[in-house]
Amino acid sequence: MSVEAPIPPAEVDLATVDLSDREWWVRPPAERHAALDRLRAERPFAFFAEPEIPGIPSGPGYHAVTRYADLEAISSQPAVFCSGKGAVSMQDVPAELHEFYGSLISMDDPRHAKIRRIVSKTFTPRMLERTLDSVRTIVDDVLARARATAEANDGVIDVVADIAAPIPLRVICDMMGVPEADRPGVLANSNIILSGGDPELIENDDPLTAFLTAGMEMAALMERLAGERLADPRDDLTTALVRSEVDGERLSHQEIASFFILLLVAGNETTRNAISQGLLALSEWPQERARWAADPSLDRTGVEEVVRWVSPVTWMRRTATQDGEVGGHRFTAGEKFLLFYNAANRDPEVFADPQRFDVGRDPNPHVGFGSKGPHFCLGAHLARRELQVTFRAIFDQLPDLEVTGPPHRLASSFVNGLKRLPARLGGTR
Amino acid sequence: MRVTADRELCVGSGACEMLAPDVFEVSDDGVVHVLQDRPDDEESVRQAAQQCPTRALTVTD
Ligand code: SF4
Repeated sequence: MSVEAPIPPAEVDLATVDLSDREWWVRPPAERHAALDRLRAERPFAFFAEPEIPGIPSGPGYHAVTRYADLEAISSQPAVFCSGKGAVSMQDVPAELHEFYGSLISMDDPRHAKIRRIVSKTFTPRMLERTLDSVRTIVDDVLARARATAEANDGVIDVVADIAAPIPLRVICDMMGVPEADRPGVLANSNIILSGGDPELIENDDPLTAFLTAGMEMAALMERLAGERLADPRDDLTTALVRSEVDGERLSHQEIASFFILLLVAGNETTRNAISQGLLALSEWPQERARWAADPSLDRTGVEEVVRWVSPVTWMRRTATQDGEVGGHRFTAGEKFLLFYNAANRDPEVFADPQRFDVGRDPNPHVGFGSKGPHFCLGAHLARRELQVTFRAIFDQLPDLEVTGPPHRLASSFVNGLKRLPARLGGTR
Repeated sequence: MRVTADRELCVGSGACEMLAPDVFEVSDDGVVHVLQDRPDDEESVRQAAQQCPTRALTVTD
């Protein structure tokens, strides 16, 4: 069945397109991609004003980078286009928020290189390979519970709540040794942090206070855990992190807390949205689903295509540190650039037939984990393996999964997310 | 073909290891090690060098 027409509408009026307006981001993907296509072709450095967020002063606006080549050029020159003025918000980050959210992502060298090295020692592919067995156990358990939920509920499940959300949350909490009792709080707070101010997820009208409270609660949990592991080491990532050092330097407690927030938030929501919207894409492209389900040797390319297609993180920001020129655009120091990964991932200069979902696409140099440069996703390896295990297990264990739609989209420009995705397990009676 | 890695540039992303696990390994120090500097699987190694986010891998013929 087709949940959303995969064919782009013929006409988009660019005058109605405002990338800063989070309501624009709940429009159907076909319409959004048609608009991004026109921006890429006609206005590759289109200028947009920053949105109003109560309590946060809005700045001078930004350029939306939509061509793959320009995005790569900016991303690979971190000295010219820095992250330290804020990478995850259009506005410059208020000092209070920087404390919790000013981790690796919004840092420049030499500090970034040092901390990244301390962290990446604990996050190597081999280290993660050891956790894969537990990933398999978690996935099997989550899918069995989804089956039970369907049986109790006339076959109806919510792909987000019953499959996509619990898998990455349990994986990351397991790896870090977060106790069972603290996990619901972790999920709720990471929802708030990545809500983009979506009113359904933030109870009062004061996003700044909500972000601060969520950050403080997460930081408190992590400081507690870090303290416990220092005194009583275990075989988990938290222990490795508190003990890891480079040139005799360790992470401070505050650095650990903000890295944990990054890991929980980044490791949770992005994988969740890749699972839910990967399943949505497979329901829209049934031949691709049949082809991938029948052939485990497509697990690698299939997952890469899901990440290209979904682009779970829509953009990261860079700020010019000097005057210069990129892709024919002259800029001055202080100018902001938003790197639209979702647009670059459908650039026809790089991807043949970019609006086609092709689980065998190879090579697939997508920028769903970031482009060239030192900020490339630290969790890419974990995410890839986790997604490979998850999709294969779903093909094997839930072959009767049928998305019934419609998807409920998160109103956020930053995260391409689903809040709910209704589905049926038809084999359930 | 010969491949070398600049371990100062490497950020330990593991992208190369995914594409050519016999040739690259990110070891416990968090940085890449080249296991075969004259690899057989040239195509995968070229792809890895191309996709390395920090251009830490150099291929010479
Ligand atoms: S792809 Fe590049 S940065 Fe990533 S581990 Fe390999 S050499 Fe290092």
